[in-house]
Amino acid sequence: MIKANYTAGGLLACALILSGCATSSGTSIYVPSAPAPGFDPPPRTTTPEPAPVPTPQPTQPEVRPPERDTAPAPSYRDQGETLSGAAASLIRQADDLLAQGNVPAAIGQLERAQRISPRSPEVYFKLSEAYVRANNLGTAEQFTLKGLSLAGSNTRMQRTGWLLLADIRRARGNLAGADQAEARARAL
Amino acid sequence: MAKSAKPRKNSKKPSPRKAPAARRGRLWGILGRLLLVGLVVLAGWMVYLDAVVTKRFEGRRFEVPSRVYARPLELYDGASISVGALGRELELAGYRPGNGVEPGSYSRSGGRFVISTRGFTFSDGAEPKRRLALTIAGDRVTDFRVLSGEASPIVRLEPAQIGGIYPAHKEDRILIQLSELPPLFEEALLAVEDRNFYQHFGVAPMSIVRAMWVNLQAGRVVQGGSTLTQQLVKNFYLSQEQTLVRKGNEALMSILLEWHYDKQDILETYLNEVYLGQAGVRSIHGFGLASQFYFREPLSDLELHQTALLVGMVKGPSYYDPRRNPERALARRNLVIDVLASNGSISEQDAIRAKAKPLGVTSRPSFSENRYPAFIDLVRRHLARDYREEDLQSEGLRIFTTLNPAIQYAAEFSVKQTLDRLDPANSEGGLQAAMVVSSRDSGEVLALVGGRDPRFAGFNRALDASRPIGSLVKPFVYLAALSQPDRYTLVSPIQDKSFALVFDDGRRWEPKNYDGTERGEVPLHVALSRSYNLPTVRIGLDVGVDVVAEMLQELGVSDTIPRYPSMLLGALPMTPVTVAQVYQGLATSGFNTPLRTIRQVTDANGEPLSRYRLAVEQVLDPAATHLVQYAMQETMQEGTGRGAYRRVSRDLSLAGKTGTTDDGRDSWFAGFSGDLLAVTWVGRDDNGPTSLTGASGALPAWADFMASVPQHGLSPVIPDGVQYHWIDPESGALTDEYCAGARLVPFIAGSEPRETRSCAGNLQRRLRSWFEGLF
Repeated sequence: MIKANYTAGGLLACALILSGCATSSGTSIYVPSAPAPGFDPPPRTTTPEPAPVPTPQPTQPEVRPPERDTAPAPSYRDQGETLSGAAASLIRQADDLLAQGNVPAAIGQLERAQRISPRSPEVYFKLSEAYVRANNLGTAEQFTLKGLSLAGSNTRMQRTGWLLLADIRRARGNLAGADQAEARARAL
Repeated sequence: MAKSAKPRKNSKKPSPRKAPAARRGRLWGILGRLLLVGLVVLAGWMVYLDAVVTKRFEGRRFEVPSRVYARPLELYDGASISVGALGRELELAGYRPGNGVEPGSYSRSGGRFVISTRGFTFSDGAEPKRRLALTIAGDRVTDFRVLSGEASPIVRLEPAQIGGIYPAHKEDRILIQLSELPPLFEEALLAVEDRNFYQHFGVAPMSIVRAMWVNLQAGRVVQGGSTLTQQLVKNFYLSQEQTLVRKGNEALMSILLEWHYDKQDILETYLNEVYLGQAGVRSIHGFGLASQFYFREPLSDLELHQTALLVGMVKGPSYYDPRRNPERALARRNLVIDVLASNGSISEQDAIRAKAKPLGVTSRPSFSENRYPAFIDLVRRHLARDYREEDLQSEGLRIFTTLNPAIQYAAEFSVKQTLDRLDPANSEGGLQAAMVVSSRDSGEVLALVGGRDPRFAGFNRALDASRPIGSLVKPFVYLAALSQPDRYTLVSPIQDKSFALVFDDGRRWEPKNYDGTERGEVPLHVALSRSYNLPTVRIGLDVGVDVVAEMLQELGVSDTIPRYPSMLLGALPMTPVTVAQVYQGLATSGFNTPLRTIRQVTDANGEPLSRYRLAVEQVLDPAATHLVQYAMQETMQEGTGRGAYRRVSRDLSLAGKTGTTDDGRDSWFAGFSGDLLAVTWVGRDDNGPTSLTGASGALPAWADFMASVPQHGLSPVIPDGVQYHWIDPESGALTDEYCAGARLVPFIAGSEPRETRSCAGNLQRRLRSWFEGLF
């Protein structure tokens, strides 16, 4: 059932790429800053607020039904963003640090990576791994869930996340939760 | 006379010879006793002075305020920053425009920068000195390269120091060690101030004699006879009066100091203690701080001519103040260079070259009062959970915060600009504002504005103005409803009709829509995006006030939440920072992310003391949160927040919510993009009425801010179990994409409408009912 939903969501989103409503991979739309302060100069003769004041409640007027053909629609995407090169290099550094057993420094590098690519599931799965190494399983589980919330229709990321979650839950003694997560991974 | 007569009386037969001898003996005895008493007194005095001097020495040696740093700027291909922001960032971190070759300088041509970093040791690794080249195009870093130094695809600049946590007497130190001294510094200092430092025992009688001789010949004071040790001791006194007793005490204390401590300790303390200038009420003590204060550079990076100036200023920091008396300072500096040349420390050529250089002092002291008082205020409160105030003032801790100077600049500018427009008079009791900006996914507080004048360290509205949040509470009411997908979806029709609640005590409550009109029935997403009150109260009463209150508590509201129906319309006071905390969960698909201002605290040597890690905790249903985010995006595109797009590019998708309380006493806006979450409040300190709504007061400041920061639009990932369907807006039934007015709406799986309506209108339903009628 869930798998079916998923596919439907993915297909739908793919269709949407064409209409420009959502993006499926890469990163979100980046918008540079406005070239100049984006408002008109204040009128000198009237009240400071440039909006007309026809009623005592000027700013929550009746809203005309928007014209669908031109009005933008709320944005969404069917999977998380790809890791930026800089974040990937920090994750590699974190891997080296983990291999050396320096977990605090590894987490430091992963947090840098998270600030650069905060919408990539990989970053959170890596943080989860680091917290597993630090034997902080509660935190690890939450980071896995966060990563999964960004995996979307990316099957590879989904599998990584659910298997990681299964391991963590098993280590925490939550066997039922672990089985559930494993079932999710298998169903992909 | 009586005294001299007395002995005669006592000795009946005095021998004429013995008499004077006995007198002498007695005299000696008295003298001896006096001497003994004197010695005891002196010894006592010395013990006292010893206690004083060691106490002061030890105390002063270690009393260093904590330093507060902004987040370090990370440079890499794709980094988000504008040309202007990078320039300001470099300036704040003390970089000079120059050739980009000397550490701490940069060159710029159009969008191309060459930056020579100074290197910095972070607790998780060192960033060595490097030379970087990059281009900024479309507010992003491209062509990032390391020209020299260790190669890396990503480099952190040294963090800018944004403030300090000072002890009450407002003194300040940048503690330096002997090993950090630039070349020739010690030679220059000793040559000018104390040639025999390593030979004397605290005082140098010969120096005093020589100084007196020189001064007599010159007819004025040209040389001081004080050793460095004496100068250091002199600093321990609070008054500067010159008396003989004081001089004597100084000499004794200097000897004691030399007896207790070795020369290196004394020199190092002197370097950190010496008085070198004044900035308002704050004294500039120590060469480390003076180097920042005058050159904006660390002491270790100073060149010969800069070293000479600082050393020369010891004699009279005010008289030789290079900013106020540049000619005197220049002459004094060159004199120090000449002394170094004459004793052979440098060559004549070096001396000529150094003397040809300008003073090189920055026009403004780089060290004013805290630049960001509101943010530092929050940092202090967060620190107070783990550290004692005394330790923060004296242990020289290094506090690495999350402040993003570019974001802070944009927030301050937007608030000021909007308020200047709304309230140009800016009189006493006029409009005030507060703004909190955090990073959406990490919860780091990037900027904080506590009032209209961001430099004013007074009432911090972002933290302390607890005001009713009005409609900012509505998303949580709808979230509680949408978490029950069998009962509510985004297209559920909701009654927009007035009603009255009668309480047990007979009071009546009749909520109204803001514009006073009633629309009969509206889809749920429209009710939220247009901020209608009546549907909200109906939904809220249906799901339960307690459910909404508990959700808010789960999201980080620690105060008690009033459990009255009026809470559903925001009769619920919160500070802007608390609003930001509560919205964080909404913005991140249901993950609670505690707001943080501090990443790490280290001791003075960079050893980590505490880390404040990123933490997330899933507290909301991600599917229901996604649906609310949809309606909050609609708010921006079609609803009460749509005015934002007069300022912001249409390409930047945003989600948000307005909030207004009775008589415009509070104007709120809270919302987020892909990268940032921002909360703005506008109102009066006396809680007086205004003509503003959330959309006309707080929203313009919020939108100006969002428009001025380069960033990613919001595009939330569809969570597990959510599907999008095309909906016919009139009937709320499923329809086809190409049908006129069709709207793509997310549903929690299984809750999507069962009816289908074709583009041709209600044909399908009619057909069905016709068939139904047949059987």
